Amino acid sequence: MNDIIIAILRSGTPLVYVTLAGVIAQRAGIWNLGLEGLMIIGACATILGIVVTGSVTLALLIAMLFAVLASILLWFVVEKLKANPIIAGLGLTGLGLGGTALAIQSFFGSQSAVNAPFGLPRLGPAFGAYGVLSILVVLMPVVVFALWFVLCRTRFGLQLSACGQHPFAARSVGVNPSTMRLIALSIGGVLAALGGAELAAGSLQFFGQNMTAGRGFMAFAAVIFGAAHPLGATLAAMFFSVLSAIGIRAQLVFGDSVPHDLIQALPYLATVFGLWLSSRLRGGTAGGITELRDD
Amino acid sequence: MIARVSYILRSLVFVVFALILCSIVFQIAGYSASLVLTNVADGAFLRPGALAQSLRWALPLFITAVGVGISFRAGFFNIGAQGQFYVGSICAAFVPEWLSGAPAYIVIPACMLAGMAGGAFWAFWPGYLRIRSGTDEVITTLMGNFMAGLLLVYVTSGPLKDPSGSGQQASSRPLEAAYRISTSSGLSVTIIAIAVVVGLAMWLLVNRTTFGMLASLAGRNPVMVRWQGALLWKLGITSFLLSGALAGLAGAIELMGPNGRIASGFLPAHGFTAILIALVANFSVAGTAITALFFGGLASAALYLPVMAGLPSAAIDVINAAIALFITARSKLLDKILRVGGRSS
Repeated sequence: MNDIIIAILRSGTPLVYVTLAGVIAQRAGIWNLGLEGLMIIGACATILGIVVTGSVTLALLIAMLFAVLASILLWFVVEKLKANPIIAGLGLTGLGLGGTALAIQSFFGSQSAVNAPFGLPRLGPAFGAYGVLSILVVLMPVVVFALWFVLCRTRFGLQLSACGQHPFAARSVGVNPSTMRLIALSIGGVLAALGGAELAAGSLQFFGQNMTAGRGFMAFAAVIFGAAHPLGATLAAMFFSVLSAIGIRAQLVFGDSVPHDLIQALPYLATVFGLWLSSRLRGGTAGGITELRDD
Repeated sequence: MIARVSYILRSLVFVVFALILCSIVFQIAGYSASLVLTNVADGAFLRPGALAQSLRWALPLFITAVGVGISFRAGFFNIGAQGQFYVGSICAAFVPEWLSGAPAYIVIPACMLAGMAGGAFWAFWPGYLRIRSGTDEVITTLMGNFMAGLLLVYVTSGPLKDPSGSGQQASSRPLEAAYRISTSSGLSVTIIAIAVVVGLAMWLLVNRTTFGMLASLAGRNPVMVRWQGALLWKLGITSFLLSGALAGLAGAIELMGPNGRIASGFLPAHGFTAILIALVANFSVAGTAITALFFGGLASAALYLPVMAGLPSAAIDVINAAIALFITARSKLLDKILRVGGRSS
């Protein structure tokens, strides 16, 4: 049982951090499809940082710096140049995936993978079987709670939601939606970098090209499935991790007799179903298409 | 006309932005930007024989991009071209299995029809959910891409698995030579003919039919179209089905043409590139043809770079991504500088 819980925590934690990054952007009114790119930038910068500086703290700071810079780029393009956030977000993802692939090949001459001598600090043998978990796993509930408090129980959080739901109302009380979105995306950059760091250096100690393998998009699915609520989205992300753990388990136990690739599709299917349900509950558009996108 | 000139000028400004951003990324990653860009130009267009290779990549991209353009035009943000392309190629791949031994003039059209049906189906359900329940099509088509990718993994490592194939990438059995519509070089009269027919048919549909006119109107002002008495749901479903069918057709062409088989995760950037092409061309069919040639050139340069110049092919992904970041930008400041804004919006 312990090993299953550890496996779920290990695969779920990076997803939760990135999901939170998506939640805060979503609340501020930006659909962040650049999560995958931010995550891989975080993962790559952490491993390269450890290799170059030899310090985990410095590596994490470098990872956050790059992810925040990339987030600011997204903000600039979406807010200042009025680009479509979906296409721009996908562009940011491509930039992250391509840029990190370029970086490891130019530094190490091989496109496969880079190993770091050590990873993030672990809990240590005092915690028994759970000692292999990294400190970011332990920190995760704290971050979730902190973000829930900030988003749902403070003036800042309320203003942020206003910027997403009704920018005009926010502006009328002197809140600048553009600035709020910059703050939201920057915090999101930090969180996504932590998610990437946990993925690359939490249980593993290496970075490989394209290693996020769609986790950023799954995090986006969790944001939608969890209705952009910090707790709901966290639960959704953990639920998706459980599903994928079941998929891996089924593959180990039953071999090829179970279509485990199709089990992996369940999170995406669940998201479509959840979204359909919520749009049904809102009443739908009853055969017409009058809903116009806000631009 | 002035609006068109303004659009082209604005696109050019953002292409310059994109190139600057690429150069920055190349420099951070440790490459000389000018070296990378000259090699990309070489690989795409300047090297002898490059144009034929660019055309090989451009034709399937053109077909998918025309479809994407139709759904965007009608105001539906169908970003599921990749999934529709995959499902189309999967459905097409089953046909030669079932009709094995039948003459090519039956199998090849059946294959294309199956591809179109598969792609159309993968666009149908997001379209249906959108129109019936208002479920956001951006998310459903995006999720559809991932589901289709996993379905492709399942099919190529299960029902259609090539038992002789080894290595990491699961793939289907190679098609018999009689059913191929081109060699592995990828260019043949058949494929060019299909692309021309698709292009002409879609140009006529968009510019010379009521459907085309109403669909473009629906994208800008759905209320107006409803006042005209047109059925929005019909327009919507038709444009979803058309865009899916064309992506599926491109899938069937890649199967019977250059690839000769389907493999898990093959051509992972096809759908995204097609969306970019449609956006750069501003959804016009003729513009799509020209733009597809440009992006086809980039795709062929991705193969040229690592072999001939020793540069990683990810450079092309960076260029595409940078263009994606800027292509939809509609800066008011820029409009003021260009001073040729046609319609005020």
